[in-house]
This record gives sequence, C-alpha cells and structure tokens, in this order.
Amino acid sequence: MKGNLTKGCLKGAEIQALGKTAGLARFRHSFISFGEDDYMDPVTAMYVAQGIHGLAYGMVLFLVASGLTLIFGMMGILNLAHASFFMLSAYFAYTVLQLTGNFWLALLIAPVATATVGVLVERFLLRKVHAFGHVGELILTIGVALVILDGVQAFWGTENLPLPIPDILQGLVNIGGLEYPAYRLFVIGLALCLLAILAVILYKTRLGMVVRAAVSDADMVNSLGINVPLVFMLVFGVGTWMAGIAGVAIAPILTVFPGLADQMGLDAFIVVVVGGFGSLSGAFIVSIIAGLLNAYGVQFVSSLAPVLMFIFMAIVLTIKPMGIFGERE
Amino acid sequence: MSKTKRWIFWIVMLIALVFYPKVFGIYYTNVFIIFAIFALFAVSYNLLLGFTGLLSFGHAMFFGVGAYGTALALEHVEGMPLIASVLMGALAAIVLALILCPIVVRVSGTAFAMIHLAFGQLMYVLALKLRGITGGEDGIGGFPIPELNIFGIVSIDMADPLNFYYFAVTVLGLSVLFLWFFTKTPFGSIMISIRDNANRVDYLGFKVPQSKAIIYTVSGCFAGVAGSIYALFQNLIAADDGFHVMVSFAPIIMTMVGGIGSFFGPIMGAGIFGIIEELTSRYTERVELVMGLILILVILFVPMGFIGFINFVKQKFAKAAA
Amino acid sequence: MNILETKAICHDFSGLQVLMDVNLEVQEGERHAIIGPNGAGKTTLFNVITGTYQPSEGQVFFKSKEITGLPSHKLVRLGMGRSFQVTSTFTWLTAFQNIRMGILSRRGIRFNFFRFLDKMDDVTRETDAVLKRINLDGERDIPANMLSYGKSRSLEISMALATDPDLVMLDEPTSGMSVDETHNAVALIRRLTEGKTMVIIEHDMDVVFSLADRITVLHLGGILASGTPDEIRDNQAVKDAYLGEMEV
Repeated sequence: MKGNLTKGCLKGAEIQALGKTAGLARFRHSFISFGEDDYMDPVTAMYVAQGIHGLAYGMVLFLVASGLTLIFGMMGILNLAHASFFMLSAYFAYTVLQLTGNFWLALLIAPVATATVGVLVERFLLRKVHAFGHVGELILTIGVALVILDGVQAFWGTENLPLPIPDILQGLVNIGGLEYPAYRLFVIGLALCLLAILAVILYKTRLGMVVRAAVSDADMVNSLGINVPLVFMLVFGVGTWMAGIAGVAIAPILTVFPGLADQMGLDAFIVVVVGGFGSLSGAFIVSIIAGLLNAYGVQFVSSLAPVLMFIFMAIVLTIKPMGIFGERE
Repeated sequence: MSKTKRWIFWIVMLIALVFYPKVFGIYYTNVFIIFAIFALFAVSYNLLLGFTGLLSFGHAMFFGVGAYGTALALEHVEGMPLIASVLMGALAAIVLALILCPIVVRVSGTAFAMIHLAFGQLMYVLALKLRGITGGEDGIGGFPIPELNIFGIVSIDMADPLNFYYFAVTVLGLSVLFLWFFTKTPFGSIMISIRDNANRVDYLGFKVPQSKAIIYTVSGCFAGVAGSIYALFQNLIAADDGFHVMVSFAPIIMTMVGGIGSFFGPIMGAGIFGIIEELTSRYTERVELVMGLILILVILFVPMGFIGFINFVKQKFAKAAA
Repeated sequence: MNILETKAICHDFSGLQVLMDVNLEVQEGERHAIIGPNGAGKTTLFNVITGTYQPSEGQVFFKSKEITGLPSHKLVRLGMGRSFQVTSTFTWLTAFQNIRMGILSRRGIRFNFFRFLDKMDDVTRETDAVLKRINLDGERDIPANMLSYGKSRSLEISMALATDPDLVMLDEPTSGMSVDETHNAVALIRRLTEGKTMVIIEHDMDVVFSLADRITVLHLGGILASGTPDEIRDNQAVKDAYLGEMEV
C-alpha cells in the first residue's frame, strides 16, 4: 500500500504530442506547452493552463468523491475500499486495451466491470455484516481494500503500466491563444457530462428522488415500502462505476500502478469530510477548490500544502463532525 | 478452569517464556519480540475498540510517537538511560493523547474513526515533512542503545539479542499485566458500560467524557510503549514504520482475528498474524492480500474472532455434555 | 416543600414550539403523574428537567436550588434518577453487572483503578440484595438483552433507582406491558419508591389512578390542569381534550 507519492513525468503519446516540454515533476500535474505563435502572454497562459489542470483533476476527484459521499450518506460508513475500485478500473482498462486495442471499449467496459465487483461486494459482503453496525462494515471495507490493493499486484505486477491516449484525443487544442492538451479537455468534458446526467437523474426523476431520500434517511424510506436493499445496491454500483470512469480517465495521465489509489483515496476522503457527508454539492465545490488549490498552491506553498490541508480538515471534523455542508451524522 | 489450574497455566507459560530463546534460537527469538510488541499494541488498541466501543483508524500515531520519542531521546540526550528512554516514548504518547482528548472524547462512532484517520495521516505527513526532526523518509537510525542499568549494580548489554529479548518481554509483559488489571477495576467496568450504553452511564452519574479521556490516554500511552520497544529493537524508526496507515490497520486485524470481546483476543490475533505473515512471506510477497482475505472471512463467519470461536465450541460441548 | 419546580419553561425545536410556560410543582414525597395526549410535550419536559435539553426559556429548581441546564450526571449526583421509555440498560452486561454499575455510582466509586471489582464483596452483596428486591435474582447472570420484556423493564426502572435518588423520574415504565406485567410493575414501583418523590409519565390510566397522589395534564405544550385524581377526573377541560378519548 505504499505508493509512490512523487510521480513525475508523463510518458507516451502526450510527450510526443507536445513540441516543447516544460516539466513540472509533481504528482497530478503535467506539462504545459505553448506553441510558437502565442496570442496569449506566456504568464497568463501558464496561469490559465494551470487552472485547467486543476479543473481536470478536480473533476476526476469529484467523480470519485461523489460516489464516496453518496455511499456515506446512505450507509453511514466511509467505504475505505472506494479508491481501490478507482484503481482497479484503471487496471481493467489496461487489460481491455491490451486485448482489443480500443480505448473506447476500455472506457466502456472497465468501469462496468468495476461496478460489478462493487455490487458483489455490497450484496454478499457488506450486507452480511450490516447487523454488526458501522464498526463491522468499516473493518470489512479495510479487508476489501487490502485484497484489491495487493491483488492487483498479484495479477498485473508492480510495474507502471502505460495506457495510451487514443489518437483522436492526442495533440493540442487552441483555446484563445493557449494551446492545451486535448485529452485533459476531454476529461473535463466527460466529467461534466456525467455530472449533468447524474444531476438530471437525481433531481428530475422519481428514482432520483428515492435515492436522495435514501441517502438522507434510509430507515424512513424503508418504512415507505421501497426496496431499500435494491437502492443501496444501485447507489453503490453507480458510485463505484463513476470511480471506475475516473480511474480510466486519469490512467493515461498518471499510468497504471499500485499506488494509484493512495493519493486519490486521501484526496477523496478530504473532499467528503470537508464537503459534507452525503452532500453532492459540497463534494463538487470542494473538489474543484482542491483541484485548483493543488494546481496553484503547489507552486507557492509547495511543501506545506498537504499539512495545511490536514490541519484544516481536522479542524472541520472537530467543529462540524458532519463536514461543512453535511447534515447527516 | 479452577484457580489452581489457572496459576499452574501461567507459571508454565512463564517458564516457557524464559526458556524460549534457548530452545528456538535467535531468529525466532526476534520473531517473538515483534509478536510481543504488536501484542501490546493490539491490546492497547482493544481497550478502545473492544472494551469501550471506539473504533480508531489512527492508533499508529501513538505507536509512532512513542517510537520517535525514544529514538530522539537517545539520539539527542547524552547519557540517556535505557528505561528513561522508554518512559520518554510513553510520555510523548501521553502528551499526544492529552492534546487530542478534548476533541476526541466528544465524538464516537464513524466520526471518531474518521477523525483518527485524519490525524493519523496528518502525523504521517508531518513525519515525512519535518526532516530536520524526524529524518523524513529515512527516519532516525543508529542511535545509541545504552546498557540496562539496574540500580547501578548490574549493567546488561542490550546489543546481545538474548538480553534484549528478556528486557523487551519484561517491559511488554508488565504492560499487558497492567492493562489486564486495569480492565478488572471498577473503572474498567465503566469502560464496558460506555461501550454498551454511554447515555445510561451519564444518567448513572458518571462523567463520561473524563472517563473516555482516561481510557484514551492509557490506551495511547501503552501503544507508545510498544512503539518505543520497536524503535529500540530495530535501532531505526521511519515514517513508514511508525505512522503509515497500515500500522493503524494492523491492530484492527489482529483484534478482529483474535477476538474482539476478550482481553487476550488481540494477543492471540497478534500471534496468528505473525505466524501467517511468516508462512505467507515464504511463498509470496502478497502478504497483505492474504491478510485482507482473512479479515473478510473472519468478519463474515467468525466475527467474535478466534477466542470467540473457542468459547462457542466450549458452549456446544457443555450443552452436549449436559 | 416543593422538591421540584419549573418556572415558565418554554422550549422549541428550530421554531417548533413544544413547551409553553410550564409551571410544574411537585411536592416532596408525593407521587406525581404527568399525562396528556401524544405530542403534548411530556418527554420533552422530562428531558428539560433531567438535563438532556437546555430550555429555551424558564428555570428548573430542584430542592430549592436552580438546576437549569446542568448536565445529567450532575443532576444524578444531586439526587435525581431517570428511566427511559425505550429501555436504556447495558445491553450485553448481565442483570447483575447492570445493577452493580448503579451501586458503584451510589457509593461514589468512579475513578477507582486500584482494586479488583469482582473481589469487592460488599458491592457484590448489595447488588444481590437489589436484584432480590426487584425479583431479578433468578436472572442474575443473564445479559440484559436476553431478558423478557417485562423483566427488562423492571431492570430499567431499577436503574433509575440504582443511585438511590430522592426524585425518581419514570418515563412510561409500563409501555408495552401485558396486564399481568403491568400489575407487577405497579407493585414494584410502589415498593421501590417508598419514601421517595416520584414523577411518572403514563398513558395507562389505571396505573395513573392507582399510583398518583397528584396529576398534571399537559396539552399542546402547556399545563391544562393540575390536581388530585378526583379533581382531574371531574375536570371538564381535561375530559374534552384527553380523557374523553380514554376509558377511565
């Protein structure tokens, strides 16, 4: 479980795509490049590019954190295995890509496979220990996390596995004078789409209403005759599926390696805590802020940033144990 | 078991402990020391989990602070005696516990677990970042380990693994004994009552937050002692050894596997964990995978752990005989 | 002397007014029942008196001293005891261990780290004596959550009395009990509260009229009437609001 927290350079297609490389050897951040004829002044360009990096990471983070916060709101437990599902999906994607050579198939299949694993875990493991209360469930998720985190090393080894970007998404896109990696824009776009679909389902459909009610008060919903176990399974599955999408999305940027879950797990945890257990809007806001902070903050406050984040989080947990926007204990 | 039988059992155990190194050799002596360290760590943890009902995901911070406390004391203070260095480790852990008490005694359940996950990670990051003090990723190592000086009369060299074994086992054993006694006192019954119904404890006139504070501090203190011996044993302590989240998960696994409802459960769990780790690491590197699987199986099928299972079997026999 | 007095107690939950200007007076040594329809605010009043809630307005006096807002454990030490509508005992502990906790508290043995609890014979003896008084000596070593409902309610009541309080607050002690169990419970309560002051919330009118010296009727958060059982029985307003629905 000891990951490499200082992942640096990108590999593969993205390097080739960039003419010049100006590296920032930090985890979650990659290169910026500007073409020869820039309309935007370089300093602004850098800030904007950093901003979009931050946005991209924030979006991915939100995909993971949203599942986590929904599961918490609904089941009252923090699924410690959530980040490992995120990573598992990246590994699945790698295999699908190896077998079919098609990125889009990987993007389609891997998250579904991961979600299936998630649903099986919920149905056959978590549900059985429900009677023991939260303690049992939390400890069970530790077991699942350990199995996945170590298991991927058994099946895929410990090397960094590359996941190349599909040709369509390679290269740069010119936005207002700034040339920016297309793939990251794709990631942002993908996340926004999913977000929109999620929002529509949650707020405009009956199913969504049931889910929101269950997240807020599962017992109450149960006494209304709604099949709560089914809703649980659904939310767990969708939450895991989104983490899976996030895993596939970020794999080309970070490569697939066993430490993938560590940093993301931590960040998602922070987001859920600060944003509020069970609050999607809270998770969204905090994810974006966290993404931007990391993009910008890294440059200015570099080594202190994680410590500050934790102290802030500890303070939040102390004053408001349900997180800033959270309502449910 | 009748009282005499129990005494005989413990005396036999004591004799076994004394002769163990002679029988099993140095390698297994060291294995036993690690087992004993984690046994104390797990027992101190179970004080919170099994006895008081508080689940923590960050108990490693006390272990780590105890380890660093001892290491730093020996590194920076000339002529620091051995026992005093262990006390420094314990003191460091106590201070940390007292600092966290005001926050921690007012929460329970998932919030308690989460706060500890956060603080545990905070300590880990701090240990990595404060290179000046903690040596960062490399940690502190090679600090002088003084001889054990008993009343200035006898001086025992700790470089000899046999001597260290007796020292460590004595310290750890006495700690476990102290904790056992602690659970048998009237205050010990308050612990268990808080686990069952903290509200009622309040309504019986007991001060719950203060009681929790005492339990928390005692638990943290002895986790620190375990860490302290660990640092002495390895002559090295680094962030990954002391504060990594796996170190927080280890006592949880040990306690669940050994038996959460009994005092000796965590000790059995530490033993089982140690044996499995030894066996597994001969064939594969995937020790954590095996641990995870065992944890899942235990929670699903034997949630009361090994000791709980034994009790269950005993009851079945008792019923069958009756 | 009024052992318990509330003055102008008002309490609301985020704007929802639950108690309004409640002036309760309980005389020392009396058995006082609080009745009223569901939602009248009875349990809330209990919670205000026993320190669970701090009232939005008003004061509570116990033994002529103001206790408004004091935490529960302090009130217990001042001489108050409480039972809960939903059984609140130590689930996995045996009946013996449950009662023993009460005995320990009464004797002030709280932060004792120095002796083997099981070897404290005087505590053991006293606990056994209490178990006998509440007819639970047969269930001495049975965990609380395995007791029959009636016996677990008996345990609950005796937890309220374990600290030997001067004022005992019982919240629907007979709720969910069969007729026989109720009979036994009433006899038990009468026996155990000899020489003490008791305030009881009840819905079962038979229990109320057989136990209570005085009755206060709560309705929509305010006191509708207060007096002897006969006075309450004849009170028209009470009949209209509440007793009319019930058979007396």
